[in-house]
Amino acid sequence: MALKFDTPAGVRSTGVARRLRGALFAALALAVAAGALPRKAEAAMPDGCAALQAKYPDLKGKTLTNAVNPHTPGYETIDPQDPSKYIGFDIDLGEAIGECLGFSLTYKPVTFAALLTTLQAGQADIVISDIYATKERAKAADFITYLKVFDGVLVAKGNPKKIDGINLSLCGTVAAENTGYVEVPLIQALEEECKKAGKPAPEILLFDNNANCIQAILAGRADTYINDVNTVDGAVKAYPDKLAKATAVTLPYSVGIAVPRGKTEFRDAVMAALVEIQKSGMQAEMMKKWNLPTDQIEAPKLVLAD
Amino acid sequence: MDLFVHYLSMPYLVEGVGYTLLITVLGLLGGFAMGLVLAWMQLSRFRALAIVARGYSIIFRGTPLILQMVFCYNALPLIGIKLTAISAASLALALNEAPFIAEILRANVIGVDRGQVSAGQALGMTPAAIMRRIVAPQAIRSMVPALGNETISALKNSSLASVVAVQELTLRSTQLASATFDFFSIFFASGLMYLVLTGAVAVIQIVIELLLDLDRPPPKEQFARFMRALLPGRGESALATAGAAPQTPADVAEEILEEIETDPLPPASPKVVNLHVRGIDREARARRLAGNAVAVEVTGLRKSYGPQAVLAGVDLTVRAGEIVAMLGPSGSGKSTLLRCINRLEGWDEGAIRVGGRFLGTDEAGRALSPRDVAQMRAGVGVGMVFQQFNLFGHLTARENIAGPLRWVQGLSRLNADRRAQELLERVGLAHRADALPRHLSGGQQQRVAIARAVAPGPSVLLLDEPTSALDPELVNEVLEVIQRLAVEEGLAMVISTHQLRFAGEVADRVVFLSGGRIVEEGPADQVLNTPRHPLTARFLSKMSAE
Repeated sequence: MALKFDTPAGVRSTGVARRLRGALFAALALAVAAGALPRKAEAAMPDGCAALQAKYPDLKGKTLTNAVNPHTPGYETIDPQDPSKYIGFDIDLGEAIGECLGFSLTYKPVTFAALLTTLQAGQADIVISDIYATKERAKAADFITYLKVFDGVLVAKGNPKKIDGINLSLCGTVAAENTGYVEVPLIQALEEECKKAGKPAPEILLFDNNANCIQAILAGRADTYINDVNTVDGAVKAYPDKLAKATAVTLPYSVGIAVPRGKTEFRDAVMAALVEIQKSGMQAEMMKKWNLPTDQIEAPKLVLAD
Repeated sequence: MDLFVHYLSMPYLVEGVGYTLLITVLGLLGGFAMGLVLAWMQLSRFRALAIVARGYSIIFRGTPLILQMVFCYNALPLIGIKLTAISAASLALALNEAPFIAEILRANVIGVDRGQVSAGQALGMTPAAIMRRIVAPQAIRSMVPALGNETISALKNSSLASVVAVQELTLRSTQLASATFDFFSIFFASGLMYLVLTGAVAVIQIVIELLLDLDRPPPKEQFARFMRALLPGRGESALATAGAAPQTPADVAEEILEEIETDPLPPASPKVVNLHVRGIDREARARRLAGNAVAVEVTGLRKSYGPQAVLAGVDLTVRAGEIVAMLGPSGSGKSTLLRCINRLEGWDEGAIRVGGRFLGTDEAGRALSPRDVAQMRAGVGVGMVFQQFNLFGHLTARENIAGPLRWVQGLSRLNADRRAQELLERVGLAHRADALPRHLSGGQQQRVAIARAVAPGPSVLLLDEPTSALDPELVNEVLEVIQRLAVEEGLAMVISTHQLRFAGEVADRVVFLSGGRIVEEGPADQVLNTPRHPLTARFLSKMSAE
């Protein structure tokens, strides 16, 4: 339990707490690691942040808007205990970047397909919402990556259709996906291969949030939902009697933070802050807190339109 | 179940209801304001306005609300208009509701009986006054159910604001479902919340309908009716357990009794009695009338609807105090001529002067606006009685007479009511002063209509087949009223009628129209007894045969 969380100010100030510090600390760390205590990580600011704030003074004190699709448990959802707040790894990461550069964030919940249009319309300043940085999407926004992509294949328990990846096993099945997800074109591309193999093409049902995709499998309307492996794991945990993860696949993408195109100074500042946060180990801590495997961490790189 | 109750009482969702209501209310208010403008444009006599309004309707009724939401939120910023999510969603909802509300408004305005509009015009009411006093009060009553529908539909449509990040009930429900996986408890809870909202709208609609009910009973009975409307089964079963046979409500029973009751005219004035006893000295009267000023002068009047000529060159002079009966087969142009005389209709050629003034044009011959025509009509003093009575349906008999006196002649309420009461007494209907037209028989309605036309003291009264829509047994009471008026008031009258005996008794002169032309005219007894023109003779023999 080598977590580097500071105990919260409230606890630190009481004498009792100080005496029981070790025990409390362990309990807290356990709870946080299990994701059962959804609260903001109050980690110390990485060392390089002071310099970044000096370098990008315009951002200091500002309130920026983060567009999210809050239907992805572990990454971003509302807090069931206090639904006026958003919680998840992406939320913590955004808050940490804001803290590092001196700005604060408000949130704008939109459908997944509307994330980048909202950014383009100027209704949001940044998008940190488990969105994969593809060349196609880079036409709408600049991306700074922070995670590798592993997808899980969610199926009904027992995997009746024997689906084992984004391959010919999908021929003739029904996949639930969200509008705008990168998996959609990958599944569509199978149509040709299936035909060649003399099998019916896969069918896609388009929804606009994870909950609807998961319900589609539970209701028997869809055979699979292929999405971020952690989302899939979360769904299996919520419905262990009905759902299962058939397999995990690697996609040639990275998860990225989207910022408006052409705002290079802002983009540079965010990227620099992200580098500091990764360097200090903060990102790994946050990922542990939200049960994400730390081997998904990826050094920040830009994905821009050609 | 516990979860369901938990979500039902969750402040997060209840606040979402607040946003849902906010957007709905803003959208409906905006939609109503824009709908008013659109309806006005479509009803306007300026074609260009109607075309613009129609174009707007086609676009905003023909595209999905969800696209309009996204457009207001994401596309308007591209031209520099950056609205908050709530403003953008409310704007989109208002833009979308406007054409629907406009059509509701327009349909109900058009739905008000055109005859009542004609009657308002004939009384000298301006278009604005007719809209405010006659059309709007009746249109508003009839549009409540449709507006209730529209409100509920807007309430449900507000859920589409979730696509532009408005924190309304649907968005909050889906977010909560994503975070907790309690899909069904949450959606049942939010479904129930929507039901409570739409249920509240339904109750408000019932209350408004009851309040606007013209036959509104006293408050106690009203509450009982309200409860019956809410719980359709309950009221009846309560009656059944009480073992009582369904009773006719007191107010309805009273109406039925009054309907049965005869309402004789008051005793005739000495003048009328004298007339009946001694008969009329027709020649002396004709000599006296010949010296009177000209009240109505029609010269060379022509009018056609397309290729069909309705009036083919009519010349007619009516002197003050003279009573002219217009006879002729239907389609001969009688009604059109009467409607032209007080400018309810225009014509193609010729001129009409009433009291020496051209109605509808100024001295230089330029057409006047409808508003100025109305004022001129009131100034010159032309009253009109219609075949279909055309009483204002939402006003009592007394108000039908007193209202226009206040609105057009500017009488005080006291004086207008006094004059109305006096006239109702003269037509034998003082005891029905508070009855609505729909509770009066046809004969009673026509008597009220005559009293209304006479109330402002016109110099000319036009009567367009005043007894044709009546059951035979009701004809005489109306003819009697007209005859008395003729004797007592001494105003010029032009009556189109099929009642030959009445024409013979009352009219000074008979004019026979056929094919839009006056084919014969002369002293009443001469034309009726010894017609010269074969068409007149044929018509008269046919009428007497019936």
